[in-house]
Amino acid sequence: MEEQLKIDFEKKLKDFSYSDQEKKFKETNFKEFLKNGFPNRKLENWKFSDLNQIIKNNIGELTFYNDYKKENQIDKIELISELEHNKIIIVDGKIEKIDFKFEDKDKIDVLVEQSEETIKENINSLINLNNAFSNKFCKIIIKKNYSLKKPLIIYHSTNKNTQSKNTNSRIDFKLEENACLRLIDIFKDNSEKNFLNIYYNFELDKSSILKNYKIDKAINNNVKYSYNNVKQEANSISETFILSSGSKFFKNEINCDLQGQHSSAFVNGIFDLDDENHHEIKSNINHLVENTKSYQLVKSVLEKKSKAVYQGKIFVSSEAQKTDGYQLSNAILLSENSEFNAKPELEIYADDVKCSHGSSSGSLDENSIFYLMSRGLNYKEAKKLLINGFLLDVIEKITDEEIKNLIKDLLGVKQ
Amino acid sequence: MLKINNLSAKIENKSILQDFKLEINPGEVHAIMGPNGSGKSTLSNILSGKKGYDVTGEVLFENNDLFSLETEERAHKGIFLAFQYPLEIPGVNTNVFLKTSLNAIKKARGEKELDAIQFLKLVKEKAKELKFDEEKLGRQLNVGFSGGEKKKNEILQMSILNPKLSILDETDSGLDIDALKTVADGVNALRKKNNSFLIITHYQRLLEYIKPDFVHVLMNGKIIKSGGPELALELEKKGYENIN
Repeated sequence: MEEQLKIDFEKKLKDFSYSDQEKKFKETNFKEFLKNGFPNRKLENWKFSDLNQIIKNNIGELTFYNDYKKENQIDKIELISELEHNKIIIVDGKIEKIDFKFEDKDKIDVLVEQSEETIKENINSLINLNNAFSNKFCKIIIKKNYSLKKPLIIYHSTNKNTQSKNTNSRIDFKLEENACLRLIDIFKDNSEKNFLNIYYNFELDKSSILKNYKIDKAINNNVKYSYNNVKQEANSISETFILSSGSKFFKNEINCDLQGQHSSAFVNGIFDLDDENHHEIKSNINHLVENTKSYQLVKSVLEKKSKAVYQGKIFVSSEAQKTDGYQLSNAILLSENSEFNAKPELEIYADDVKCSHGSSSGSLDENSIFYLMSRGLNYKEAKKLLINGFLLDVIEKITDEEIKNLIKDLLGVKQ
Repeated sequence: MLKINNLSAKIENKSILQDFKLEINPGEVHAIMGPNGSGKSTLSNILSGKKGYDVTGEVLFENNDLFSLETEERAHKGIFLAFQYPLEIPGVNTNVFLKTSLNAIKKARGEKELDAIQFLKLVKEKAKELKFDEEKLGRQLNVGFSGGEKKKNEILQMSILNPKLSILDETDSGLDIDALKTVADGVNALRKKNNSFLIITHYQRLLEYIKPDFVHVLMNGKIIKSGGPELALELEKKGYENIN
């Protein structure tokens, strides 16, 4: 793999004339990745999902070079028709289109220069890989007091003939004071056996609101990793909802730094898994100042040999008095071979806090099934009604009604 | 309508019903009374298709072999069990559940399913008759309902589904006197030439409001005595130990 990486990285550097700063940034990240490689189970964060093995078993040898000069076809990508939206289309890691057609143009800036701050970051080896191989820098700024009129949908797609490739995409967002963004991620996989690595960096200024809904519903054989890095100033709110279902493997990692008072973070998720799919949600909620709040709810319905992992961490620094942190996970195992792993972590250094966690897993309640069947529903209908009921309270946590309905439609839980 | 011949039931080799016999004709109301552990709930479970019992013997419902029918098929044919302990189903709206249930049965019978407006009209009418709080219809099924509300909800389901044979498994337990009367009114409203009832109870109390045609005493998995409504009164006076 190392040889391939070096060849592909050389090729990439030749493609563009990078500034010295950019070049240094990419080279530093590349070296870090070469040193550490793909994460494996020796790392605590990856002990339930050994990505090195997962890539070997599902993809084999990867290549890393993507020709960003090539224009990808985007007219065949099926767009969401149920709701009006702005869009960004990413194909094989390359942003092909940015379209804010519903918005006031002077309220949104798209920057391509990289800021000093991001250059120093060293989060994990996959972010190093992303920084080394992703295309040009892109930062979207939502101006002060501006709420986008329509949601922004980011379509993540792969080309039909792309195979055994690693694709990397990164977008930075800044929500200025009192700005509001509703962001939906949708996956349109047109090819198999690729590793998609997606990195979002969010700066939430005072009183801004970010709602990010990640929808992985369509069945596909790709391996995916997504990292959201969210830094939150006073009174800001971040709401993340993850529907984790269709991909072969998907790990969603959410890092929230609550660094302004009265900021809050909500992370809710559904694992709806079948076959041998293996998905994970890893959250780090860092309560760094007084009076911050976090809430996490994850529900799983697991068929066949599927496996779900939820590692939820709540960190409370010694300054972060009056923290309110909560997390809960419930799983229904529909087969003896399905597996749910929960690792709740509370690391608390302040003494005046309210933090709790809980986790449960079990099978579908046979008495409830019997009750529903005695009212004329067949086994399949009874099971569906119970599962929908089980998932409904996570869906009800979605604060955007339009998007809530879209997700209810996708899951077939409309009542 | 219902013929039970030599029904025996075991659960993990423990015998619960032995050579049980009963025949219910259209329009009849039968009461089965018995002490705890006499096999009353087992009987209602077996009739409605609950798994986990080893059975021998024969049960015919309108000449269909009941044991060849799945739980939901029995419901389609018109058997209804009012549960002793109705289950709480989180996340499932009561109205949605009632409509799904009614339409599943209608569909199986080849009848026209009700649309939302027709259904709401029916359910409101029935809820009013049973003094069932309409607001509860919008809530999750039985979640946060009191014991009495859960039992009333069973009777509401019964009156909406309009079954041929209703089995009431200790529906009176946990009801105060007003709720008991409402439940009895609901049952009596359904009493017609062709609707039959099997009422399972500890006490004679419910039978003051729902007059049975026959009373049977169940002890140790067998009917030891059958008679008219007067048998219930005799039981109340003498207790199960001294009846013969």
